[in-house]
Amino acid sequence: MEMNTHDRLERIFKDAFSIEKLTDDLSIDNVPGWDSMAHVALIMTLQQEFGIAITPAEAIELTDIASIKNYLRSVAH
Amino acid sequence: MNEQITKILDEMPAAPSWLYYRRAAGQLRALAASGANIFANGFKVAFTGSFTMEPVSEYAIVEAARQDIGLDVYVAPYGQFSREMLDTQSGLYAFKPDLTFLMVEPTAAGTDQETADHMVSLAHHWSSAGNGTLLVCTFAAPPDWPLHLLASTARERLQKANQYLIKALANDPRIQILDLDALAAYFGYVNAFSPQMLAMARVPFSEAFLKLLGQKIGSCVKAVKGLSAKCLVLDCDNTLWGGIIGEDGLDGIALGPDSPGREFVEFQKAILELYEQGVILAINSKNNEADVLEVLRRHPHMLLREKHFAALVVNWQSKADNMNALAQELNISLDSMVFADDNPVERQLLRQMLPQVKILDLPANPALYAQTLRQTDFFTKASLSEEDRQRGAMYAAQRQRTQLQQSSVSLEDFLKSLEMVCSIRKAEAKDVKRAAQLTQRTNQFNLTTRRYTEAEIAAMLPDKRRAVYVLGLKDKFGDNGTVGLAIVNKQTESWRIDTFLMSCRVIGRQAEDALVDRICRDAQLSNVKQLTAEYLKTPKNALAADFWDKMNFIKTSLDEKTSQYKCDLERYAPKEFKYLKLISINQN
Repeated sequence: MEMNTHDRLERIFKDAFSIEKLTDDLSIDNVPGWDSMAHVALIMTLQQEFGIAITPAEAIELTDIASIKNYLRSVAH
Repeated sequence: MNEQITKILDEMPAAPSWLYYRRAAGQLRALAASGANIFANGFKVAFTGSFTMEPVSEYAIVEAARQDIGLDVYVAPYGQFSREMLDTQSGLYAFKPDLTFLMVEPTAAGTDQETADHMVSLAHHWSSAGNGTLLVCTFAAPPDWPLHLLASTARERLQKANQYLIKALANDPRIQILDLDALAAYFGYVNAFSPQMLAMARVPFSEAFLKLLGQKIGSCVKAVKGLSAKCLVLDCDNTLWGGIIGEDGLDGIALGPDSPGREFVEFQKAILELYEQGVILAINSKNNEADVLEVLRRHPHMLLREKHFAALVVNWQSKADNMNALAQELNISLDSMVFADDNPVERQLLRQMLPQVKILDLPANPALYAQTLRQTDFFTKASLSEEDRQRGAMYAAQRQRTQLQQSSVSLEDFLKSLEMVCSIRKAEAKDVKRAAQLTQRTNQFNLTTRRYTEAEIAAMLPDKRRAVYVLGLKDKFGDNGTVGLAIVNKQTESWRIDTFLMSCRVIGRQAEDALVDRICRDAQLSNVKQLTAEYLKTPKNALAADFWDKMNFIKTSLDEKTSQYKCDLERYAPKEFKYLKLISINQN
């Protein structure tokens, strides 16, 4: 399950931001193109990809890979 | 379309989220910025409004690219639409756009009416200083009545403001209205609006609705630039009516108040709507002209009559040749023509031979024809002039038949691309029903028009003095089933082709030649000295009149009704068929 989530995230980041390898330290501060507008588009994509609803308040916190993974893990259960 | 554009569009997933639109739009912009003149048409579009306009611009860039239109965009800063429109030193004016897109929420300047007033004054100001065309959206908002289902005063206010806006801007030819409220209603308000997008991105629309809006902006650009299609070219059988007029006759075709005729009446209604908006209508049909004219003139349920058509090309030549002839006769370019035909093979042929012509992909179910036509953006117009309303009638009045000319476009690539597999075999018990039906129903490509019952066909199968061949044809679009039939009467020294027919939807694809070739080969193998054939003229089979001549059979006699032929078997050289994969079973 964890592998699967990682791979799906990696594909999204590859498609959206041309990131080759997904690591936990990637964040809105160090990924070129991940700006505030792209962040909303990313959240919409995560909702679609993982079949979940993310509130705007939650979305503000999901600005690095570690947080996104933690979040996906928490809603999976 | 440019390969790099195609690549970018193809790389998007099947149901792309905004993220993928954003990425593709960025790639398209970078490609355009590299200086390459990659689009058939390029336009500068400025986006401004009370929403975040970036997502709208991104969807528009991608959806316009699908229509081979390149958008060079300017997105005004968020919340700055009034200043951008009023200050002629603003980025918007400096950009000198071909089209300025203005989309404002009804509460942006107070009440709905106050906001409408504000927009009218912005538009008038723009009109005195701005470049190109201004496209103003009507207000759209989710309805507030789900709790009581009564007429809502809020909705009434919104509609009043929209009507005011439309009326106030109607007289400026440089200002066009995009009825966003109607578009949201068409899409369904519940699906058009997304509270999530509004909260996070400050644009109220769902991603699915942004896609539709992007398409409409692309169509508006085309309409404003006069790139809309002018002419709808229609096939007849199974397009304007159900069935085949040449086979089923005036009383047999499906057209009327009840299914399976209602579907076609509804389609004709949708076609008439276009006619009334100035779209020219034409017919391009493989048929006998007299048969088609009879339907146009006499069928009680035809809505479309001869007077509605600017040109009719009804013959047995290729539709591509006929399309060229229509373009010449109507003096319009091929890229302003849209072709509607139920047959996917004809559509594909035209796509390959005349890629400029736009194709309306009619679905297999005729009940969906009208909807498909109404949803296409080929004919989108910025506005309707009096001339538009009269145009159809003008063309029809000026109609002159011009001699059709052969075009030099080759059929070979098309035949090759069909990947045809042709099977020719002796009929078996399972074929009796279809074989009898073919003799009874085939009128046009039928050399002798001899009708046989199932019992008669069944009696031929074990008969050593008879050979019954059936021909099946598959292509990449599917299996056409058993579409050809030949019956040969055999004597020791000579064979006679008693019946030879093909369903007309597959004529001209060399299958008929292959069937003749098979009979000739079998005759040679049986050491037959002579093979004879005939053409018996009927009111319906002019199409086949010179078939035996084309097959290099020798004419031995003819009178008004009958031509007799023979084939010189000693000199007959078996043929190869480059474009048909032949499967011949039970050879002799």
